[in-house]
Amino acid sequence: MTQFRMGRRAALFGAATLPLFAVGGRAFGQGAPVVLGALPPLTGAGGPYGPAMLRAIQGVVEEANAAGGIRGRQIRVVAEDDQTNPDAGVRGTRKLIDVDRVSAVLGTWASAVTTAVAPLCWENRVPLFTVSGADSITQLPHQGYIFRTQPNSQLQIRTGTDWLLAKGARRVFHLAAQSPFAQSSQEVMTQRMRAAGGQVTGFIVYERDKTNFRSEIDQVMRSRSDTIMLNGYLPDTTILLRELFRAGFDGRKFTFAYAAPASVFQSLPNEVTNGLITFQPSPDVDSGAFKRLQSRFGNTEVDPYSAQTHDHAALAILAAAQTGDASGTAIRDNVRKISQGGGEKVDNVTDGLRAIAAGRAINFEGASGPVDFEPSGDISGTKFRFEQAENGRYKVLEIA
Amino acid sequence: MDAYIVAMLVFAGVYALMALGLNVIWGLAGMVNLGLVGFFGLGAYATALLTKNFLWPMPMGWAAGAAVAALAGGLMALIVARLRGDYLAIVTLGFAEVIRLVASNEVWLTNGTDGISGIPGPWRGQVSPQEFNLIFLGLVWAAVGVAFILLARISHSPFGRVLRAVREDEDVAAVAGKPVLWFKIRAFALGAAVLGFAGALYAHYNAYIAPEGFAPLLTIYIVLALTAGGVGAMRGAIVGALLVVLLLEGTRFLAQVIPGVSPVQKAALREGIIALSLILLLRFRPQGLIPERTRTRAKEAS
Repeated sequence: MTQFRMGRRAALFGAATLPLFAVGGRAFGQGAPVVLGALPPLTGAGGPYGPAMLRAIQGVVEEANAAGGIRGRQIRVVAEDDQTNPDAGVRGTRKLIDVDRVSAVLGTWASAVTTAVAPLCWENRVPLFTVSGADSITQLPHQGYIFRTQPNSQLQIRTGTDWLLAKGARRVFHLAAQSPFAQSSQEVMTQRMRAAGGQVTGFIVYERDKTNFRSEIDQVMRSRSDTIMLNGYLPDTTILLRELFRAGFDGRKFTFAYAAPASVFQSLPNEVTNGLITFQPSPDVDSGAFKRLQSRFGNTEVDPYSAQTHDHAALAILAAAQTGDASGTAIRDNVRKISQGGGEKVDNVTDGLRAIAAGRAINFEGASGPVDFEPSGDISGTKFRFEQAENGRYKVLEIA
Repeated sequence: MDAYIVAMLVFAGVYALMALGLNVIWGLAGMVNLGLVGFFGLGAYATALLTKNFLWPMPMGWAAGAAVAALAGGLMALIVARLRGDYLAIVTLGFAEVIRLVASNEVWLTNGTDGISGIPGPWRGQVSPQEFNLIFLGLVWAAVGVAFILLARISHSPFGRVLRAVREDEDVAAVAGKPVLWFKIRAFALGAAVLGFAGALYAHYNAYIAPEGFAPLLTIYIVLALTAGGVGAMRGAIVGALLVVLLLEGTRFLAQVIPGVSPVQKAALREGIIALSLILLLRFRPQGLIPERTRTRAKEAS
C-alpha cells in the first residue's frame, strides 16, 4: 500500500519533469543543448572548495557558448552537490546521468566520492573528470572513462621527498593523518630516503579528528629529526604547527599546500607559521588560461582545484567539438586528441573551437598545466610549486 | 528518468529496512540507538569481505552480514544494559564511531580509507545497468516486505508486548516476572540483524563501501525517517523512509525551478528545506504520520 502511494508520487514527479526529459531525449538532434554535469562538494568537508570549482566550470561554458557552442549547440551545466559524502554523491550522479542525461561528469573532489560514483559513470558510458588524488582511482576497471587532473599521491610524495633530499634533509619524521595514502606515502618516502643515504626517523598515523597531539610531538622531539613531514589536513595541521612551536621544534616543517592554505595565517600567529614550507601541484600560473581564469575570479585567489575543473570543462567541450558528437564515449575517445600531440597550442575554448571548426588539430594547454594524460587516465608532466611562509604570507621558493 | 526513480526507490528500500531495524530497538524496546550506522557498516563489511575475498555466494554473505550485526547488537545490549536516555544515546553513537575508526585503520582487513571496491552484485555485468537496478529494486522491496510482515507480527506478539512494557517502565516489567535484560538483548540483536542485512544489500548495490560512507549523517536520516513516520509503528518506518528520500531528492527539483538561484544557494536551500519540513512535521505532528496503534486500550484500563 505504501509502495503504491510512492508510485503515484513518483508518477507525478515524473510527469512534472517530463518536459525536461523530452529535451534530453532530443539532445542528439540539431540544436538541442549539450548538458555537462558538475558534482563538486558544495557542502561538507569540501565545502570551502566546491563553489569556486563550479564557478570555473560555468565560466568556461559561458565562454564556449559565446563562441557558438559545440557546432552550433549550446552547452548547459547542471550542478549537484555531493555533500562530500559517497552516499549523497551516488544519488546526485544518478540524477545527473538518468534525468539530465549529461555527457560528462566534472569535478568530483573527495576520493571516496569519486570511487563510489565511478562505476555508475563507466557503466553508463559517461566520462568522469576528477581532482581526487588516491592512487586506487585510476586502477579501477574504468575502460578509459576516468580522467584525473590531480597528480596521484605517489607522484606527489615522491616529488616532495626528492626536493627535501636536494635541500639536505637526512632525518625526516613522517606524521600522517589516516587517509588512503598514509601508508603508501610512507613506503615511497622510506625507499627514496634510504636510497639517498637518509632515513625516515619515525612514522605515526593519527586520527584526523584529534585535538591534542602531545604524545606524537614528544616522539618527534625525541627522534632528533631535521625535518618533519606533516601529511594531514588543515584542522589537524593547524594544531600540530602550534604544538611544534610550543615544543621548540627548530627543524624544517614541510607539508602539502592544501593542509596549510593561506587561511592558516588567520588562525596562527606568524612566529608559529614562519619557515613552514608547502608544496603543491602548481597551476601553470604563467599560462594564458590561468591568467584569464584569475581575471575572471577577480580578487579571489584561484586554487589548484578550480584551475583543474576549468580544464575539465574545456577538455569535455573541445573533445565533443572534435567529433561533433556529444556522447560520453565520443568525449572519452577524443580527449587525448585535443589535449596532447603536435597540434596547434590553444589555451582557451574560444580559440580551440575556432581551430577545430577550421579543421586544424589542437593541443589544449590548461590552467592547471599542459593536461596530457597517460593511458591509465592519470595526468603527466605536472609542475610543482614550493612556497615558504614568511610573516603571514607565502613566498614562492621555486617551481619545479 | 525512470532509471533514476528506480534507483531512488532502491535507496528508499534500504532506508526503510534500516528504519524497521531501528524501530525494533528504539520504537518497541525504547532504547535510543544512534549507532545504527555502525551495525549497517558491520553488515556491509562482513558481506563485502566474504563474497569478494572468499567468494561466498551472495545470499550467504547477506546472512553473514545480518548475523555479525546481530552478534554485535547482542553484545552491545549487554554492555549498555543499565544505561538509558541520553547516556545510552552517547554510548551507541560512540560505538558507530568505533566501527568507522576500526574500518579506516585496520587496513589489512578493510583496505582502510581506500574502501572496498568491485563488490559483486546479482547478475551485475551480465545484464544492462537498468535491468540490474530493477532486479535490485525487487530484491530490496521483497526484503522490506518480509521484514515488515515479520516485525509487525512480532510487535503484536507477547514478545512485542513485553518490549513495550520494558519501554514504558522497566521496573514494572521486572516485577511482572519478565527477564528484562534478556528481552533487551534479543530486541537489540533482532534490530541490529535487520540493520546489518540492510548494510549487506547496500554494499552489493553500490559495489563500493568506505568508512566515510558510514558517517553519522546516515544515522540522522534514519532517525528522522522513523520520527517522521511514527516511532513504534512498523508502517510508519516505511512511510518515513520514503518521505526522507522524497525530501532529499525532491528538493533537487524544487530548488531547480526557483529562478535566480545559483547552484551553491540551491545546495544550501535544499538542506534548509529538508530541515524545515522536519521541524514543521515534529511541531504539528509529533506522533509521526502514522502513530503507533496497539490492540490493548490504555483508557479502559485506567
